[in-house]
Amino acid sequence: MTEDDRPIGRVTRCSTRGFVGAVRLPEPEWPVFGTYCQAEAQQGRSQVIGLIYDLSIEDDELARQLAASESLSPEQLADSQVNRQVPVEYRALAIGYRNDESFVQSLPPQPPLTLAPVHRLSLADVRKFTERLEFLKLILAVPEIPVDDLLAAALQAAAAARPESERRTYLVAAAAECARLVGRDLTRLESVVRSLRPQH
Amino acid sequence: MSLNLPQILGQLEKMGAALAEQQAALRRLQPAASKALEHAASLSPQDLSAQVARAGDRYRGARPTDEPLLTAAAAPALESGLVVSGADGSQIYPDRHAPALYYVIQVGGLAMETGSGRPPHTRTHPQIFYLPEDLHDQQGYPVGNAMINGRRDAEEMKALAEWSQAHTGRPFVALLDNGLLLWFALQVREQNQKDVDRILQAYLGHLDSLQTSGGCVAGFIDRPRSADVLALAHLSTLPPDAVNDQSLRANPFRSLTDRALFDDLLGPGQRSACFIDSSPLNRDFETKGHQVRFFYLKTNARGTIARVEVPAWVAQDPARLGRVHAAILDQCRATGGFPYVLVRAHELAVVTNQDRQQLEGLIQQRLVDSHVAGRASQKATTKRWTRSRRKHQL
Repeated sequence: MTEDDRPIGRVTRCSTRGFVGAVRLPEPEWPVFGTYCQAEAQQGRSQVIGLIYDLSIEDDELARQLAASESLSPEQLADSQVNRQVPVEYRALAIGYRNDESFVQSLPPQPPLTLAPVHRLSLADVRKFTERLEFLKLILAVPEIPVDDLLAAALQAAAAARPESERRTYLVAAAAECARLVGRDLTRLESVVRSLRPQH
Repeated sequence: MSLNLPQILGQLEKMGAALAEQQAALRRLQPAASKALEHAASLSPQDLSAQVARAGDRYRGARPTDEPLLTAAAAPALESGLVVSGADGSQIYPDRHAPALYYVIQVGGLAMETGSGRPPHTRTHPQIFYLPEDLHDQQGYPVGNAMINGRRDAEEMKALAEWSQAHTGRPFVALLDNGLLLWFALQVREQNQKDVDRILQAYLGHLDSLQTSGGCVAGFIDRPRSADVLALAHLSTLPPDAVNDQSLRANPFRSLTDRALFDDLLGPGQRSACFIDSSPLNRDFETKGHQVRFFYLKTNARGTIARVEVPAWVAQDPARLGRVHAAILDQCRATGGFPYVLVRAHELAVVTNQDRQQLEGLIQQRLVDSHVAGRASQKATTKRWTRSRRKHQL
């Protein structure tokens, strides 16, 4: 099993708008904000494509005990920060689904099942899914999430999945689509376009 | 149907009152027990040993060593460069209702270099057993849980021996979340002499490795229920010509534990004298040079008393004994009286119900791939149907 194939947790709660996943992994293997992921739905007939927009660390009694202790040794601190499988919960916004090999950029017909494994989308699938930009509408339509930051993280991740020679062209096209979608709000548009500048 | 809590509430009230009464009775007994221990301590070592010899094989209490019985020793300073390791094991027992017959043993462990500032090395080692010879004992019966516990204990000791060998030449303490004696052997030895001996010899071989690599090993027992030292205190009060089965059984301190005795005697961080465990199982250990001894330790200022078991080669070597004492106290500081490496070893080893369900799903998938029929029994399936029903809260 390669690192890409390994599940990054399982679904604990879900709706057609998105799902919550939980995992116990050491810190280097946590998913990051803006990660594209997928979870099985409809008894394996489809995969819901999600975009991770929130990560939180669940309550951990040992960590609480150690935090309150005045006698924590440097080795114990390093153990907790590097080795321990911290319970992480993340929320993913549904931005599409996959039927067989084709991607659809709209809300899925059914949410994933509870305890369905969640996997990172492979780089090839990120490239394929993000060829079209209709999913940006789904991100922009959600209240109470950091939409602008998520938009930027999602598009930067999509650009990074492409060969370096294609990244700039992709981001320019994405910025044009953002301008079309949020054009009436110039302040917001400026912030989104600024965050889409190619990263070096 | 879940536990009917409203119906049990009335019984809980009676239970609370009865436990309070028992506690009060135990507190009344304690001064007499402490006095009996002081009496035992006032006897010459020769007289006390003679009394233990009079009691013979029927005696199931502590045997004294050459340390004074009322010893309350402080720990030496922690050595620099000390490596402390812990191991713990977990298992999935065979279940005839599962899709396939198998069992799993998983051992987790870590080794922490004190003063290094580096994260400890951690390791988790799962093993699945599914062959007919794994699943049946020497008489052809399905392997019992006690035997699996014995195999798990031997794997834990193996993990500690490997850590010790990897740190040969450095001060090293290995901790186990249990006593050192393999109690499963007493449970199943009569029916499975060969199997038990094989596991016992492997376990003793790992103790050999620990000793020869220069390490120390200790079994840590939290909240011990043993009353071995109280039995010794009672024995010391018997007239020499009245030591018999009846008088040994008429121990007035049977309802107390040694913990209560040493709570008064020990200050925070102090250990008691070492004693010898008189279990018949200890003879096998003694024959191989690993006679099990124990002491009590007050691990913190709140008065938590633990029982620590060590081989005689640790107990009789002041440097090794002090190393174990100091290491355990250091390990207990951040975790309120239980060694940190054992907390983490448990976390690394534990197999949860969810893990088990996932494993069974994978096994079922492999069976399908191999065109083998394998599904949970109808009983297990119906239990799963009702398991997730919501329970009413009080």
